Amino acid sequence: MMGQSVAPLARLFVFRGALSRNVRLAAGCGTALLALAIWSAAPAFGWTNPVFLPSPLDVVEALWIMVTQNGLLTDAGISIARVWGAFLLSAVMAIPIGIMMSSYRIVGSSLEPLIDFIRYLPVPALVPLSIIWFGIGEETKIFLLWLGTFFQLVLLVAEDMKRVPQEYFEIAYTLGAKPRAALTSVALRSMLPSLVDNLRITLGWCWTYLIIAEIVAADNGLGFVIWTARRYMETSQVMAGVFVIGIIGLVSDQAFRLAHRMMFRYL
Amino acid sequence: MLPVPYLSFVAVTKNFGTLHVVETPFNLEIPRGQFVAFLGPSGCGKTTLMRMVGGLDTPTDGSILLEGAPVGGPDRRRGMVFQSYSSFPWLTVEQNVLFGMKYRTDLLPSEKRARALHYLKLVGLQDFGAAYPNRISGGMRQRVAIARTLAAGSEILLMDEPFGALDAQLREELQVELRRIQTEDTKTIIFVTHDVEEAIFLADRVIVFSPRPATIRADIDVTSILGAVRDLTTRDGQAFFNLRTKILHMLRNAHTAAA
Repeated sequence: MMGQSVAPLARLFVFRGALSRNVRLAAGCGTALLALAIWSAAPAFGWTNPVFLPSPLDVVEALWIMVTQNGLLTDAGISIARVWGAFLLSAVMAIPIGIMMSSYRIVGSSLEPLIDFIRYLPVPALVPLSIIWFGIGEETKIFLLWLGTFFQLVLLVAEDMKRVPQEYFEIAYTLGAKPRAALTSVALRSMLPSLVDNLRITLGWCWTYLIIAEIVAADNGLGFVIWTARRYMETSQVMAGVFVIGIIGLVSDQAFRLAHRMMFRYL
Repeated sequence: MLPVPYLSFVAVTKNFGTLHVVETPFNLEIPRGQFVAFLGPSGCGKTTLMRMVGGLDTPTDGSILLEGAPVGGPDRRRGMVFQSYSSFPWLTVEQNVLFGMKYRTDLLPSEKRARALHYLKLVGLQDFGAAYPNRISGGMRQRVAIARTLAAGSEILLMDEPFGALDAQLREELQVELRRIQTEDTKTIIFVTHDVEEAIFLADRVIVFSPRPATIRADIDVTSILGAVRDLTTRDGQAFFNLRTKILHMLRNAHTAAA
């Protein structure tokens, strides 16, 4: 009986049912367009004050001016560089340390309590401290981003390593591999797909902390642009800045996903 | 002087902390080229005993001797075939078999390729060399693992319920195959299973285990009963049926005795 309903509308609401790709695509686009329509209508019909909620067109216009006249792309470039700098620093440290934590009990037992403690410290609460230590230069920003991501990533890497099936090691050993060879030719290869996934998620967190860092201690970058626009109540510019971050996030996330699909075709 | 047995367990005991897996000293001699099944209930210690041959676990007491010398850590002479995670998903079928020779320095790359091809043919996978394990069936994946271990040059195959995850038909097919492979490329095999029919069909000799702590309940010379040649008709004979019933009774009694 299930799934045999005749009415087209009923077919859309089969509990845990299947849906064609086109219908899903239409549903996704439709919702987005509806949101856009409501957003456009709200200031146009006077439901909301345009100072607080400018129309989509105002935001696009603000974006255009910011790109062509205010050098928004330079700020975006600066932000991207900061994010990637801190992200790479976190990754380069977290990958070997995380692997060591799951390879040698003593390393894991020694580091885990400390990492768990620091992991729960909220990054914004450490802003004053990092300004005392590093001033308001690049070091502070990199430090805050690193702080927010390294301690999370290192535990994720340790978990990835822990999940490598013991059988893989034992197969390698009985084929004549020494532990180090088993680590490089089997364990690393086995954990790589989930490692790439965790790096992608970590890169997303970097953007969260970047905005905090750029709001409190910067004279350039997207966070600074957004915060400055707020001071002058340029709501459309604020929204344009946020929009740019969203786009950059979306593009880098999709790039990671694409790389994942291409690298791990065997999955 | 008595000849040195090929593989022997000498007064082996094993405990993991307070868990006694093998309490009574375990003794067993296995001649070269014999296909031995370790049959017993889950958790009885048969796998642990097999893993000790592979050097993946060490006896608490006693020793395991290969041609008179105690076995150390794992090496290429004693290869493992597991039930799951038996092949590497990121390597193609051929690369998986080549991986078996990755740490061999005595072979030229061309020799390795030739050997890989030879063993792929032996297990009937010559047409699937370029496929990744996720594209082939579970039975084929187990063939890959067998070919890899043979290509590595292992003399002893340690198989831990390798067909346990396969459906009945595929399982039977692989059992016939394994028996054929073993006659073509004589290896000593220790095959761990809890499936009575599988043990009888495959092995020259079945060791029936009691529940943990492991002791030998029976040591059955199957070849003297069923002969060395096994095929799909073997299962239909009266001798096979009688042997199966006898062993099932042993296992049943073992359970009652423990309870």
